[in-house]
Amino acid sequence: MAFAIATLGSVVGGSQPSGAASSGGTLVIGSAVAPPSLDPTSNASAAIDEVFDYNVYQHLVELDPKGAVIPVLATKYTMSPDGLKYTFTLRSGVSFSNGDPMTAADVVYSLNRAVNPKSGYPYQSLVADVSSVTSPDPSTVVVTLTHPDNQFLYNLAAYSNGIVLDPSAVATIATNPVGTGPYMYQSQISNYDVVLVANPKYWGPKPGMSSVTFRYFSSATTMDSALQSGQIQVIDNLDNSQDVSQFTHNSSFKVIHGPTEGKIDLTLNNAAGPLKKLKVRQAVTYAIDKQAILRTAGAGYGTVIGSDQVPGDPWYTPSVNNAYRYNPKKAKELLAQAGYRHGFSMTLTLPPYGYATTAGPLIQAELAAVGIKVAIKNIAWALWISKVFTDHNYQMTIIDQVEARDISEYGDCSYYFNYAGCKQVGAMVSAATAATTTRAEIAKFRAIVRKISADAANGWLYNPDQLTVAKKSIVGLPGSGLTESFNLSYVSVGGSLSQKVKAEGFAS
Amino acid sequence: MDATRRLARAAAPFLRRVGTIVVALWGASVLVFTVLNVLPGSPAQVILGTQATPQAVRQLTAQLGLNKSLLRQYVDWVGGLLHGSLGVSYISHLGIGAQIAQALSVTGPLVLFALVIGLAIGLPLGFIGAVRHGRFSGSLIGGLSQIGMAVPTVVAGLLLVIILTVKFHVFPTSGFPGWSDPLQALRSLVLPAFSLGLVEGAILSRYVRASILEQLRSDYLRTARSKGLRVGQALRRHGIRNAAIPLVTVVGLELASLIVGAIVVENVFALPGLGLLLLDSVNNRDLLTVQDIAMLVATAVLVINLVVDVSYHLLDPRLKGQS
Repeated sequence: MAFAIATLGSVVGGSQPSGAASSGGTLVIGSAVAPPSLDPTSNASAAIDEVFDYNVYQHLVELDPKGAVIPVLATKYTMSPDGLKYTFTLRSGVSFSNGDPMTAADVVYSLNRAVNPKSGYPYQSLVADVSSVTSPDPSTVVVTLTHPDNQFLYNLAAYSNGIVLDPSAVATIATNPVGTGPYMYQSQISNYDVVLVANPKYWGPKPGMSSVTFRYFSSATTMDSALQSGQIQVIDNLDNSQDVSQFTHNSSFKVIHGPTEGKIDLTLNNAAGPLKKLKVRQAVTYAIDKQAILRTAGAGYGTVIGSDQVPGDPWYTPSVNNAYRYNPKKAKELLAQAGYRHGFSMTLTLPPYGYATTAGPLIQAELAAVGIKVAIKNIAWALWISKVFTDHNYQMTIIDQVEARDISEYGDCSYYFNYAGCKQVGAMVSAATAATTTRAEIAKFRAIVRKISADAANGWLYNPDQLTVAKKSIVGLPGSGLTESFNLSYVSVGGSLSQKVKAEGFAS
Repeated sequence: MDATRRLARAAAPFLRRVGTIVVALWGASVLVFTVLNVLPGSPAQVILGTQATPQAVRQLTAQLGLNKSLLRQYVDWVGGLLHGSLGVSYISHLGIGAQIAQALSVTGPLVLFALVIGLAIGLPLGFIGAVRHGRFSGSLIGGLSQIGMAVPTVVAGLLLVIILTVKFHVFPTSGFPGWSDPLQALRSLVLPAFSLGLVEGAILSRYVRASILEQLRSDYLRTARSKGLRVGQALRRHGIRNAAIPLVTVVGLELASLIVGAIVVENVFALPGLGLLLLDSVNNRDLLTVQDIAMLVATAVLVINLVVDVSYHLLDPRLKGQS
């Protein structure tokens, strides 16, 4: 993103991070979804990135918990004035956990592996505009793009495309991940746990724990009990936000909350019956009390939104959040104008997630109040992917669009919103990402934010917070959910954090 | 010559049973495969998530071999099973056999443990309930077992967790440390096995009570008592063996239902067993793993039934020579 490199061609330096004091010992982190595989380069599951990204695998640049791009395996990077060429200076003295030194050739190999159209990387499309990756000398890697893309660095930092792999360990990537990060993979029991241990070859400050175990719980109640009884020391993100009350009133625990990249939407199929009409979609959004839904489904932790944006986006436009303030009377008027004086019937398809199943009945009641009869249908995730996402066979759904800066989806005419303005937005997105000044980039993205809001392309509800609960003594946990990684680089028991690490958004 | 013929005649019913099992397993494999493969939900789309292009999804589908004809996929799968290979999960890239073996090392002991608890509760309670039929203690046991049956396993489990672990720290709330430390492993199975076994014990006690009551009312037992035997004596000498026949059937059925109950309990106690593996595999559309587990459970149920049938012959000499 152009925000990180404020002036074009400037150099952003990176120093060795100074971390927490080492305390050793084992940290057990409870989490709801187990990684279905260990390979983030072949599976999109965020549960894989949570464990392996930044902790085991590192990128040239990564996101800090505040969402800013910071240099990691690169010490600095520059962008050419035309926005087509990115030059990375590699950190020296880095080796993989198996002892192999990290070379420029490894970086070139890794990026090419992602860029290859047949790579199978889940986010391959984000690097489809890379035309070449070369290494002019052993400490430099140059990436050339086919057209300017001010989201390139951000995407490289945020997604598994940017992971630097050891070519000699790729054959066993699914069973024995090898990276350069502070922790290395030790073992797993499928669907039960993943054990990481401190990487003795780590180039940075010594990791604060000698081992970290992620333990998985399909029952939120069991996970809460495990934390209460001391079997685990951290819950990465409460599945049911309402559960937070049992920890906020207990002095043994601390609750760390910060924004995520998620947008919890009442997604509208713009091609489904009455929803084709702008006035109907606007009526639906007027009929919903977003604040009430945030209070109930998100326990009040989050921000109400009015477009595909979160407060961390460079082009965040708070004014649109009030565009459709709760107004059932206005909703009824709009419905009448659209020819639905007596309302109509709709189906609301819900995936099996706490926010959806909590918000669903509220929205059902609110829409009923303006005459829209909603039938709720609960389905499994795989079915949601198939029926709603792939087949567009739905009318309304509630989903957390978790991907960062995914506003370009509104410019994709094959996307499951079936948004009529997709062609125009597609052109606007191309222009916005090609902007080579930050000011132009932000202005162009803001125009998209406003356009889809005016079109009521979806019913955006809120940007949920990540709610991490931990034993009081644990420091250095990420202070937000802006990265898919649950970054453990600085975590320790009873240690202290440097000013720099705190400024990056790690919680003390 | 005569001896071989006699052996053949004795073995015939057994062979017939095995034949039935083979046919049943074949039927189960067709059913499981068909049901799972008509379910909507592309594994490739689930793997790649919501950002992948349709080309990438098509490419992965081909790579996973899921674009082959269903018949071909079925033949590949069953062929693998016949060669003793459960295949490799296309989600986790791990051998399914190893994953199932790992899961069974938790679920197997859990189910046996629960069965022991169920029997330890159900047999004596049912016996006392029958003998004391019509008296207060008998009715009390009857009432308690009704309550026990009504409590869902998941509720029993959660209650045990809250009382014994969060409040008193007697047992770990959840999880399984592995068999490298057998004592700790058993400790972490106590609560799950109890929450499974309590309910099964309650159900079992009802059957035991009914079965023994029936024997108590039978003519032969009345005859035995009229010879001067006390109730207990008459039951021990004549009744129990007769009462055992329907009970063996029930225990066999209960064992199968314990395997199903384990799915719920493993969820509540976060145990890495077969139930959890099955649930996660369904959610991840790991069809091959689901198919393998379904076949394993089907085989287990059929084998349990076979054992039940064989034990009839041991318990009831009249059945010898019949089938």
